[in-house]
Amino acid sequence: MPATKNTDMPFSSSLAPRPSEAGEPVLRVEGLGVAIGPAERPVTLVEDVSLEIAAGRTLCVVGESGCGKSLTSLAIMGLLATPPLRVASGRVLFEGRDLLTMEPRERADLRGDRMTMIFQEPMTSLNPAFTIGDQIAEVVRRHRDISAEAARATALEMLRRVRIPSPEKRLDEYPHQMSGGMRQRVMIAMALANGPRLLIADEPTTALDVTIQAQILSLVRNLQRETGTALLLITHDLGVVAEVADEVAVMYAGRIVERGPVEAIFDDPQHPYTIGLMGSLPSLAGDQERLVTIPGSVPPPERMPRGCRFSPRCPFAIAGCHTAPPPLAEITPGHWAACIRAPLEAFVGAPAGEAA
Amino acid sequence: MISFIARRIVIAIPTIVLVSIFVFALQKMLPGDPILVLAGEERDPIVIEALREKYRLNDPLPVQYFAWAWQALHGNLGISLRTNAPVLDLILEKLPVTLQLAAMAMSFALLIGIPAGVMAAVKKGTAWDYLATGLALWGLSIPNFFLGIMLIFLVSVQLNWLPASGYVSLGESVSQNLRTMIMPAFVLGNALAASMMRHTRSAMLGVLKQDYVRTARAKGLLEPRVILKHALRNALVPVVTVGTLLFGELLAGAVLTEQIFTIPGFGKLIVDAVFNRDYAVVQGVVLCTALGYIALNLLADVLYVVLNPRLRAR
Repeated sequence: MPATKNTDMPFSSSLAPRPSEAGEPVLRVEGLGVAIGPAERPVTLVEDVSLEIAAGRTLCVVGESGCGKSLTSLAIMGLLATPPLRVASGRVLFEGRDLLTMEPRERADLRGDRMTMIFQEPMTSLNPAFTIGDQIAEVVRRHRDISAEAARATALEMLRRVRIPSPEKRLDEYPHQMSGGMRQRVMIAMALANGPRLLIADEPTTALDVTIQAQILSLVRNLQRETGTALLLITHDLGVVAEVADEVAVMYAGRIVERGPVEAIFDDPQHPYTIGLMGSLPSLAGDQERLVTIPGSVPPPERMPRGCRFSPRCPFAIAGCHTAPPPLAEITPGHWAACIRAPLEAFVGAPAGEAA
Repeated sequence: MISFIARRIVIAIPTIVLVSIFVFALQKMLPGDPILVLAGEERDPIVIEALREKYRLNDPLPVQYFAWAWQALHGNLGISLRTNAPVLDLILEKLPVTLQLAAMAMSFALLIGIPAGVMAAVKKGTAWDYLATGLALWGLSIPNFFLGIMLIFLVSVQLNWLPASGYVSLGESVSQNLRTMIMPAFVLGNALAASMMRHTRSAMLGVLKQDYVRTARAKGLLEPRVILKHALRNALVPVVTVGTLLFGELLAGAVLTEQIFTIPGFGKLIVDAVFNRDYAVVQGVVLCTALGYIALNLLADVLYVVLNPRLRAR
């Protein structure tokens, strides 16, 4: 794939020019909750999630499987499987307007146009019955009043921009004729065809080969830089976070436990869960004998502890941790952690067992 | 695509040969001797022997089979022992009537079954779903003859809206033809509509869970387009295949319906031929039916590939 050579170089996020825009963030989520089950006895899967992303910036939401990352992104897009899932609380402000109180029709007008999404599974996310060209052209014609020929031309142009080789030929092919990496490029082409203000990418590289992962990520990053789109990237891969994030939100058991600039999260993590997560990251330096793991597992949603949800697994937990959920508190400017024991400097370095 | 169809046709040939041997052997195994029927009351041995010679019934069976098959290949399915009319003419005269009946029943089944199945799947678990599923159960359970008789009683006898029986061909009067055919088509298509509804519902339920349906919504498409284009297009693949195969069963089911409404179709031809031991007609009819089934199977295979881009390239 020689065509991709020039753009798929490794890059450093700190060197990248960042279009900065003052004022209203593109997306602002306030106290979002997602629940399942009957209204009188709901089980809360996502609770009190607050985020914001400015134009051209990248927010990575990290956390292990089942922590509510995907539910949060689907709730923002309005794609929750309703019923049984539903948004239980909060506001989702897109360019200042609350999506949750909008007419469904109006929200659908934004979807695929101003806010778009790519998914984890490129193999199943494209419709097997229609050609690539048709599927890209469809999203263009849904939101733009243009002819079928013009939409097809846009589709071709988008295939070029996501660096699919011989795009004229690919335009009339079906998804099954393409590899996973190519299909994810098609999904990206579809998501960016209308020049969105916000792109949500839900683990876009998890299902792909490692070599393809880097290509797809840098493709997304480059296109984002060209267009100034805000990117909400869901991932459990801290390597990806280190590479692309401006800001990071760490989720645990349906709540955000820590939020801040990427440097702060990596260099000075405050929440014990984040610290554990960083400890689980294998290092190539080879000075660790064993991988550090967090003991125990995430409690099921219907048996969440009343206090801090991480407290049963937390080596630093004290009595106060079990009584009430800790609020997100600003530790240093822009860096928030939901831990009553933060900052933990006093304990870090000492073996966890002794500190508790 | 062309080579795929050609290959399917070649594969069908041994089946056709087997069917023809079976059809031929079947009538040899049937009890009763048509010659005795023809010979009349006296059963004069000389007459019987002459008749046997005339119809070449004294030849060895393989010779009889090849003679019959050779003629059949040339469109000569023999002469009706009863009416002395060529069997092919009889079939060509009756077949269009039954085909019209089956086509109307099929259209009815598709027009009712597919929309009802889509609605039941989209509104799964609601009153609409239970209504559609319940009606389908009713449609599958109620026997044709009972529904037919009840409808004749209600629509023809009580309300006097449609004729209870009597057939007018399309050539004579289209409106009269439709008036006589609409009730039989409803009766015949009733069970098929129910089974189309159930196939559509389950196929749609499977497709609606697919990631590409979520992608369609993520593109901002409105629900009708998501359902009718992105979901239904994929759900129809198995439904069309099953529908094509069930069309063959309609032709078989037509026997009863045609009896009830006294429609001079294929079904009536079979029944009369069997009762009269009119072997040549039975043979011809069974052979045609078998060929029809094979053709429908072939069509189902081809449609499955045409509707399924993943298989088309091969």
